[in-house]
Amino acid sequence: MVDVTRTGTGVVASGVRRTFGPVEAVRGIDLTARPGEVTALVGPNGAGKTTLLLVLATLLVPDAGQVRVAGWDPVTEPDEVRARMGWSPDVFGLYDNLTAREYLELFGEAYRLGRVRSRARAAELLEQTRLVEHADRPVHTMSRGQKQRLGMARALVHEPEVLLLDEPASGLDPRSRVELRELLREQARLGAAVVVSSHLLGDLEQVADRVVFVDGGATVGEHRIDELPAGTQLRPWRIRALDTDLLLGSLERHAYDVDGVTPAGVDVRLANDEAAAALLTGLVHDGVPVVSMQPVGGALEAAYLQLTEEDR
Amino acid sequence: MTAAGIATVARQEFRLRIRAGRWKGLLAVFFAVLLGFTVLLRGSLANVTDDDLPFTGTVLYGGLMLFVLGLALLVVPALAAQSVNGDRERGTLATLQVTRLSAAEITLGKFVAAWGTALVFLALTSPLVAYAMTQDGVPLGRVVVVTLVLALLLGTVCAVSLWLSSVLTRTTTSGVLAYLSVFAMTVGTLIVFGLVTAVTSETVDQTFRNDCSQAPPGSSCEEVVTFATTRARTDRTWWLLAPNPFVVLADAAPQLPQEEPARDGTEPGVRARDLDPLGQIGRLVRDLRVPPIEADDGGAVPGFEVEGAGQDDGAPVWPTGLAVNVALAAGALVLTARRLRTPTRQLPRGQRVA
Ligand SMILES: Nc1ncnc2c1ncn2[C@@H]1O[C@H](COP(=O)(O)OP(=O)(O)O)[C@@H](O)[C@H]1O
Ligand SMILES: [Mg+2]
Repeated sequence: MVDVTRTGTGVVASGVRRTFGPVEAVRGIDLTARPGEVTALVGPNGAGKTTLLLVLATLLVPDAGQVRVAGWDPVTEPDEVRARMGWSPDVFGLYDNLTAREYLELFGEAYRLGRVRSRARAAELLEQTRLVEHADRPVHTMSRGQKQRLGMARALVHEPEVLLLDEPASGLDPRSRVELRELLREQARLGAAVVVSSHLLGDLEQVADRVVFVDGGATVGEHRIDELPAGTQLRPWRIRALDTDLLLGSLERHAYDVDGVTPAGVDVRLANDEAAAALLTGLVHDGVPVVSMQPVGGALEAAYLQLTEEDR
Repeated sequence: MTAAGIATVARQEFRLRIRAGRWKGLLAVFFAVLLGFTVLLRGSLANVTDDDLPFTGTVLYGGLMLFVLGLALLVVPALAAQSVNGDRERGTLATLQVTRLSAAEITLGKFVAAWGTALVFLALTSPLVAYAMTQDGVPLGRVVVVTLVLALLLGTVCAVSLWLSSVLTRTTTSGVLAYLSVFAMTVGTLIVFGLVTAVTSETVDQTFRNDCSQAPPGSSCEEVVTFATTRARTDRTWWLLAPNPFVVLADAAPQLPQEEPARDGTEPGVRARDLDPLGQIGRLVRDLRVPPIEADDGGAVPGFEVEGAGQDDGAPVWPTGLAVNVALAAGALVLTARRLRTPTRQLPRGQRVA
């Protein structure tokens, strides 16, 4: 029987290392994910995010490091961890000949919820992930986004207190991405510690409380999302005006380098918010009919670019 | 490990198999081939003699069971040979491994599903067996024993195939090796037995005594002639043949009684026992266990074995063979469960966890 003590501690990993033969996939990742928060795991391809999540998900033994998931050791107490942890891998398969409902019921039973509870949970989750219409159709008739949502529902079947999601948003349409964000927030609100790896920095910025940057198998930064380090780099801003020629003329007069001109607007690089405010004042002063002016990519993207730039 | 956990996995695997669709066709072909075999065998028996051959049932049943075993060995490896690595390939294994199902539950669930499917194939023979039983010379006890042994032998094939699917990354490799392992158990044991017996046959001196008193005077007559001869020591190598599924099956079938009275109207002395294909194979392998009669120093014709004369059959071979098969199955299942245990320390080359 599962012991109910030692829960509610989220994820704590420190100094995790893991090699595959000669490849050092992870060589010193620290990560803390608190209950009630969404923690973003961000880094370039091959940074070791998936490997770390496999360690947390009780699938891989780390070569070194301290790991606790929901307060338990995934290596020595995997069953305790599994009872409290939901995992959705970056690529996964579904049983093509099952219906969505059967699929969720199967996993309910695999998590030892019992027949009755499994059935009820499946119905709830189908509702929650907007798959009710597809509930009794075979999985192979579903679209990619629907499959992704079904995978998410599977990870939630046993109401885990730790949720590990490896690139859950890849291949989702904008609407599904919004829903995914809402789902993650909802899980955090219910008290789960959510770890999510993704390359969609704009999405992450809207959903995450904290971000852990990894690069080359190691943690290179761990920040609250509202306290991201101010970049020392120029950030791109996009300006749209009713009269593009007038805008370009004004920018030239003020000696700004134009990054690019697209139908969406004119891109310029600016050091910080003060520079942006000054530019806008100047443009308005010149009589340029400015419609909008906004940073391209968020603070997260800026921080990310800076971290990976330093690496080059 | 819980029965419910095993049942969850097994039910799921069954459901997938049933929905995959091909099984109906395969079952139909399997039954059609068996039916064809039975009809032809029955027909050929009717042609042997003008009168109806006695104990048709014995021959029919024995032949059918050997044929069923051969045919099942062609089908059954496919039932489990891609069970684990196929799931890995499709990306459905890791999601199951992170549930609360243990490695043993996943292993046994998959095994039960594969074995259960094999038993469905076996169950298809029941109408034909029932027909054979309406003929003469098929005791119920024999049917029970043969069916049980057949089931165990097919279980071994399932377990070994399952293990192969857990150690090999590629489904094609494990499929081929599953068939190779069946080949090794059937033809391989026969070849190894033959070769090892030939290599280990021993040379013994045989002594002949001549009676020189009758010899014409002057002719060279030696009282004692000694010459070397080789003889096979199958009593030392019989166990190489023991795991062979056909040997196990045939030898495990209870021998029909020696003293069965001849039926009215048949030649005296024709017994079901003499016509029984299973019993004949059984007696053949039991004879292998009988050591040669050792040279008797004072005997008149020492060293010469008198084939069959006064000798009892050797001890049964099937207990050894069945034990080897069951041990193989158990070992394969233990190793499969070990392969499926997570978290893993080592990953085979080129294999990703998920
Ligand atoms: N099973 C494996 N065998 C060999 N190398 C691996 C294996 N898994 C991951 N790697 C390597 O480890 C590194 C980190 O991979 P991964 O954790 O998948 O990164 P990410 O998810 O951040 O893109 C990569 O260089 C990858 O090639
Ligand atoms: Mg990855």
